[in-house]
Amino acid sequence: MNKAIRITKSREGWILEAALILLAILFVIPIYYLIVTTFKSPDEATFHPLALPFHFTLSNYYEAWNAMNYPKVLMNTSIITVCSVAGIILFSSMAAYSLARRDHAVNRAIFYFFLAGMMVPFQMGLVSLFKLINSLGIMDTLLAVICVNIGGGGIVALFLFKSFITASVPIELEEAAFIDGCSVQKTFWFIAFPLLTPVTATVAILSTLNVWNDFLNPLLFLQSRENSLILLEVYRNIGQFSVDWTSLFPMLLLGVAPLMFFYLIMQRYVIKGVAAGALKG
Amino acid sequence: MNRTKREINYGMFILPALLFYVLFCVYPFVTMFYYSVTDYSVSKQTNLDYVGLRNYIEIWDNDLLLYGIKNSIVYALLMTVFQTAFGILLAVALDKKLKTRNILRSVFFLPAVFSPLVIGFLWNYLMSTSDFGLINQGLTSIGLSKINFLGDSDLALYSVVFTQLWQWTGWAMVIFLANLQSISKDYYEAAEIDGATASHQFWKITLPLLQPSVSVVAITAMIGGLKVFDIIMSLTNGGPGNATETIMTAFIKTSFSEGFYGYGAAFGVVFFVAVLLLTMLLMQFLRKWGEKIA
Repeated sequence: MNKAIRITKSREGWILEAALILLAILFVIPIYYLIVTTFKSPDEATFHPLALPFHFTLSNYYEAWNAMNYPKVLMNTSIITVCSVAGIILFSSMAAYSLARRDHAVNRAIFYFFLAGMMVPFQMGLVSLFKLINSLGIMDTLLAVICVNIGGGGIVALFLFKSFITASVPIELEEAAFIDGCSVQKTFWFIAFPLLTPVTATVAILSTLNVWNDFLNPLLFLQSRENSLILLEVYRNIGQFSVDWTSLFPMLLLGVAPLMFFYLIMQRYVIKGVAAGALKG
Repeated sequence: MNRTKREINYGMFILPALLFYVLFCVYPFVTMFYYSVTDYSVSKQTNLDYVGLRNYIEIWDNDLLLYGIKNSIVYALLMTVFQTAFGILLAVALDKKLKTRNILRSVFFLPAVFSPLVIGFLWNYLMSTSDFGLINQGLTSIGLSKINFLGDSDLALYSVVFTQLWQWTGWAMVIFLANLQSISKDYYEAAEIDGATASHQFWKITLPLLQPSVSVVAITAMIGGLKVFDIIMSLTNGGPGNATETIMTAFIKTSFSEGFYGYGAAFGVVFFVAVLLLTMLLMQFLRKWGEKIA
């Protein structure tokens, strides 16, 4: 009896697994198509869309690489991402620490002031923001995008840091440090911050995905080719459809490749980070 | 003395984050309310005049903006419902002890790391009616006629939703899976002993205990859905006609391409109210549901 149940169960499990694998294959076809098409001529891609390319040609890549000025835009995108993510981690962990450890009325008001921002579509302020960036004299600089990223990205980060500090960073160590005459700064950097590693990783991963894939802010605040980013180049170059449409595919792939590598190497952490960021808040 | 100094130090810790938040989020947001009642535009940038509610009234005569509001709401509702539903289904299936579980999980999550802008260009090719359009090639090869996914104004918005479900369902799944793993197996063993069927277990145990993650995914999908921009720019650019114009694309076009800043600001205020109302309605609904199962 028991055995019979187990057999039908394992058969069901097998069917389920087969169905899921089939679904996963359908799921990756667009990505597979994106990759193989980068090596094909328009004719080959039209008549054998899913076949492996007959003859690998890298000339498409060569053209895309040059048209996008890839080394330059990769560098710019990396600078924006690293600075924004560092700024978000630095400022929101400091603020969260202070808000968690000094739980008085003013700080509680400040916390709710931040929290309210999670429900406000700040994009509606873009016109004023545009004006502000202009009058600060940072229009068409990477700094403009970094500042906006830190402003907007800090909200969720602060929330994550604060709930982590309240829930799992013991205050006893800090109290001992204070008695020994340790300053607030030193206590934070040498005692509290190292204990924040799990949530720092979560914030870093979520912010990296957001900042790297952000398109709207760079579109508005970066105009010159000198300060262009990967996605801006994809957008500017693909504008119109050309007859030689497969030559645009390397550009798409170069557009997503850095994050794809990031994900392939760090997938366990990325998946954990996304789940933790959503549920621990 | 030492104590005051320490309190000041604590205060200083909040300043940088507060400064960036106020300067780059709150200040622009608040000034929009002011601009929304002025005649601020690209041709009139100083000596703004107060125009009362004129900008707000004109919104209702503008097809671009009205379609934007309607499409964004339809899009956000569809994304909220289906991303949650499909995410739960995938998560429940992948929570079972399968050999390929980890790799399947990674595969389903993969599209979520890509930029929606690039995804839009890619699907533009995949859904094309030209000879190279992969999906239509598939349809004609099994004897069906071509479907104009992006060119048919009745269909275009749903095509956009389809690509975004492909992209974001895995993201929802990951959150549901984390929630599922925190549910004690004891409930299911007890239910099994009582002879509860699998579907019974799902509705009576799994779904109620998924309430925290359902709230997070639904609210994020709703807010994100109302703000949708990148995918529209690359997949349809708002067309055909205004069929896939959203609040953000209409807002950017009105403010930045046409230069009607005051008008765009009024629209921004309407957008803010729409997000607030819909999110609060959704939260109310989720709370009622939470109370009912508690």
